[in-house]
Amino acid sequence: MPEPIVKVTNLQKCFGSLKVLHDINFQVFKGEVVVVIGPSGSGKSTLLRCLNRLEEPSGGSILINGEEITSKSARLSFLRRDIGMVFQQFNLFPHMTVLKNVMEGPRTVLKLSSDECESRALSLLKKVGLEDKANNKPATLSGGQQQRVAIARALAMKPQIMLFDEATSSLDPELVDEVLAVMRSLAEEGITMVVVTHEMGFAERVADRVVFMDGGYIVEQGKPSDLFYSPREERTRKFLKQLQRQEPESPANSQVG
Amino acid sequence: MEYQWQFDVVWAQFPKLWDGLQLTIMLAVVGFILSASFALVVVLARISSSRFLSLLAIGYINFFRGTPFIVQLLWLYYTLPVVTGLLLSSISTALIGITLNLGAFIAETYRAGIASIDKGQSEAAAALGMTHAQIMARIVLPQAIVRVIPPLASYWITIFKDTSLFSLIAVAELTYQSRLVAVDTFRPLETYTLIALLYFAVTYPQARLVDYIFDRYRVRS
Repeated sequence: MPEPIVKVTNLQKCFGSLKVLHDINFQVFKGEVVVVIGPSGSGKSTLLRCLNRLEEPSGGSILINGEEITSKSARLSFLRRDIGMVFQQFNLFPHMTVLKNVMEGPRTVLKLSSDECESRALSLLKKVGLEDKANNKPATLSGGQQQRVAIARALAMKPQIMLFDEATSSLDPELVDEVLAVMRSLAEEGITMVVVTHEMGFAERVADRVVFMDGGYIVEQGKPSDLFYSPREERTRKFLKQLQRQEPESPANSQVG
Repeated sequence: MEYQWQFDVVWAQFPKLWDGLQLTIMLAVVGFILSASFALVVVLARISSSRFLSLLAIGYINFFRGTPFIVQLLWLYYTLPVVTGLLLSSISTALIGITLNLGAFIAETYRAGIASIDKGQSEAAAALGMTHAQIMARIVLPQAIVRVIPPLASYWITIFKDTSLFSLIAVAELTYQSRLVAVDTFRPLETYTLIALLYFAVTYPQARLVDYIFDRYRVRS
């Protein structure tokens, strides 16, 4: 068994007296696509945000590439270079053009030459299908386009792992697919990904492993086919059943992959 | 008895007033640049992770916002030379005074501007691996500055009028000069009427400009 890129041991997180993560143990291996699902408030976004310490863990250990990121001496800005993140609200920098957004990381953090940053940014924009928007300001783009730029911006750092925090949750329904398509192509390239999402179709088709969280616990994890069609835990069954009622096209219902 | 307005004797003294007006404009411009720059240092201390710097900035802001500007000026004028052993000109004292006073107000304006920038912005920058200083310099401040331009423009009008208080510590700006003219000519009514109009003539176009700036940089949601 190779060493995992991410190794989370007994991770705990409290907001005041509210405990949102209980002794989470969780690993991600190189090239793996892990999709985290669960009801709102189950702690999945918090878990993701602990992985690059946008949330400060209250206890436990997180190893990224064997390096302890929860230690006081950890150089956060250094560690975060290797961990790309895509946010629900895109969070593009509105005062910069699309191109500058994508160039910002390599330019400011990696101190690469302007030319190198630009060619890297342009090829990534091409990859997400937005090279013609390079000189636009983010505000002129649709939500789906903005999120694709945000993905390109994170990729520009050539991270070892990509974190997606409900990347499609704030998009209009007709814009969800273009973002999922980009995420799927990244998965096919073998990029290591941890994806928090409500898109069960994506989870089923793209994930190597699905993690179900509820109430701050990892309830169950496994291959999508196992977790969606023969869940072992009662809570997982209940959650999937609720989804079926809400959206008749969820995978557990439709049976088509 | 009907008062006989006589502006001509006052007009004859206009060169003195003109000198005063020039000094007023100089003090306002330099004072504004100094306070706006100083406020940047203060706000960075205020929001820094160092508890000491932050408390120092809070203490300073509260003190200078909680005492009258005139009292601050007089206090500096009489105390500064004794405490520091430096002989400062009235103009230097005036500039130090306005910088300390307005700096406190502008720093709070900056802080509001910075606080208005969505937290997601600094999170996205942090996730790229930027340091706190880089996030401030490249992401937060450039956006915050646009938002504080309108209130900053209002402070410009304030400082322009507040320079008149410098007359109390013998700075020969417009108000001070007008007192000389009033005494010389025995025509205070005409002098102060003229001065009021002069201030208004200079300030009003600027106030209109500020209105325009407010409109231009209004935060669009």
